[in-house]
Amino acid sequence: MSEELTFEQARKELEHIVAELESGRADLEQALALWERGEELYRLCLAKLDAAQGKVEELASRARAAKPEPG
Amino acid sequence: MKPEPLLYGDRKVYTVSAFNRGVASWLERLPTLWVEGEVTELRRQRGWASVFFTLKDPGDGASLAVTMPRGTFESLKLELADGDRVQVFGRPELWEARGSFQLRALAIEPIGLGAVLANLERLKRKLAAEGLFAAERKRPLPVFPRRVGLLTGHDAAAKRDFLTAVAARFPAANVVVAETYVQGVQAPQALVLALAALCAEPEVDVVVISRGGGSFEDLLPFSDERVVRAVAACPVPVVSAVGHEQDVPLVDLVADARASTPTAAARLVVPDERELRERLEGLRVSLARETRRILERARIALERDGERLAASPALLLERKRAILDGLAGRLRTLSPSATLARGYAVVRGEGGIVRSAADVQAGARVDVELASGGFGARVEDVRP
Repeated sequence: MSEELTFEQARKELEHIVAELESGRADLEQALALWERGEELYRLCLAKLDAAQGKVEELASRARAAKPEPG
Repeated sequence: MKPEPLLYGDRKVYTVSAFNRGVASWLERLPTLWVEGEVTELRRQRGWASVFFTLKDPGDGASLAVTMPRGTFESLKLELADGDRVQVFGRPELWEARGSFQLRALAIEPIGLGAVLANLERLKRKLAAEGLFAAERKRPLPVFPRRVGLLTGHDAAAKRDFLTAVAARFPAANVVVAETYVQGVQAPQALVLALAALCAEPEVDVVVISRGGGSFEDLLPFSDERVVRAVAACPVPVVSAVGHEQDVPLVDLVADARASTPTAAARLVVPDERELRERLEGLRVSLARETRRILERARIALERDGERLAASPALLLERKRAILDGLAGRLRTLSPSATLARGYAVVRGEGGIVRSAADVQAGARVDVELASGGFGARVEDVRP
């Protein structure tokens, strides 16, 4: 199973695809495949943005554990 | 007074007391000198004749017991607290009753700002020479960190400012907060341990060290060699947001990026969600536009090919017809009927078409063909 892309990786690949299409090197078949992949990446990025629920956690217990030994 | 040993045959044996006295008298010959370190475990009580504390080397933690007569200590009117850097003028001595070694202080001077600055400058030069502050060591900050580690003091304002800025910019951000001591003698070690704890958390891609300002002395732990080295060795990029005015703590130099405030640090470590979405939409528009362009180009090429294909039988016919037309034209010019139509006549005699007067004789019968019909005739006379 391939590892799921991070938002950053997906966005980079999307930018790369757009640049490739802009260069005009792609033929029709390649262009369609690139577009399909691009749409997929776009949806992945968007889903990540929509789904991400920020949270703040406290490492309080460990910070206490980090208290140095006296002396 | 030289201690006298007991003799057991060849063996000289000293009593504990005599041994201690001997070592003590030997130590007394050492000169008085200045020793510098951090005050810890200061113990003073009304009934005690002396004041005790431990002088600690901030570099490696080596320690030395110091004692001073209470009267002398009080006359100095020092406001000593744990963690203060002092220079002690004294003499090494042995406390004979316990056989323990200590420094008998004759004078104590808190280290002035000048000495602290000089120490700092020395450390800065040393670390710079090791390349710890070099630009090549700076790592880029992640654009989209999975989790952000925040290392902060028990300092509500800095933490609140940072979290508020993060939430406003990127509500989806995950932040792990480690609060610890950022001030006082225990701060450097506490900072080092808290930083390690943050880095041990999974998915922490960047760490922000924040402190909401403070005096020059308050910020000294952020110039501590242990802290600076820990930041240098941190497996993920570190942003220093240690508030300061003019004196740059060394952690600022070793960090991968620095921010003037916790709010500015938030801008460095999390992306702006609105911008991110705009950029994403822009990419999608470009994606569709470029694909359409390539599709359109292919369609135009296809249409052109189709037209050429469809036109090819007609073209063939056209070419044949032209040839045919040419032939017909040429045929028409060869036929006599057009000539006859203009009023010419074809005369035929016995020998065929009469082209010359010599071909006929007077009285001969000829046949005359016209554009329309013909008639027979007899030759009246001949003009050669």
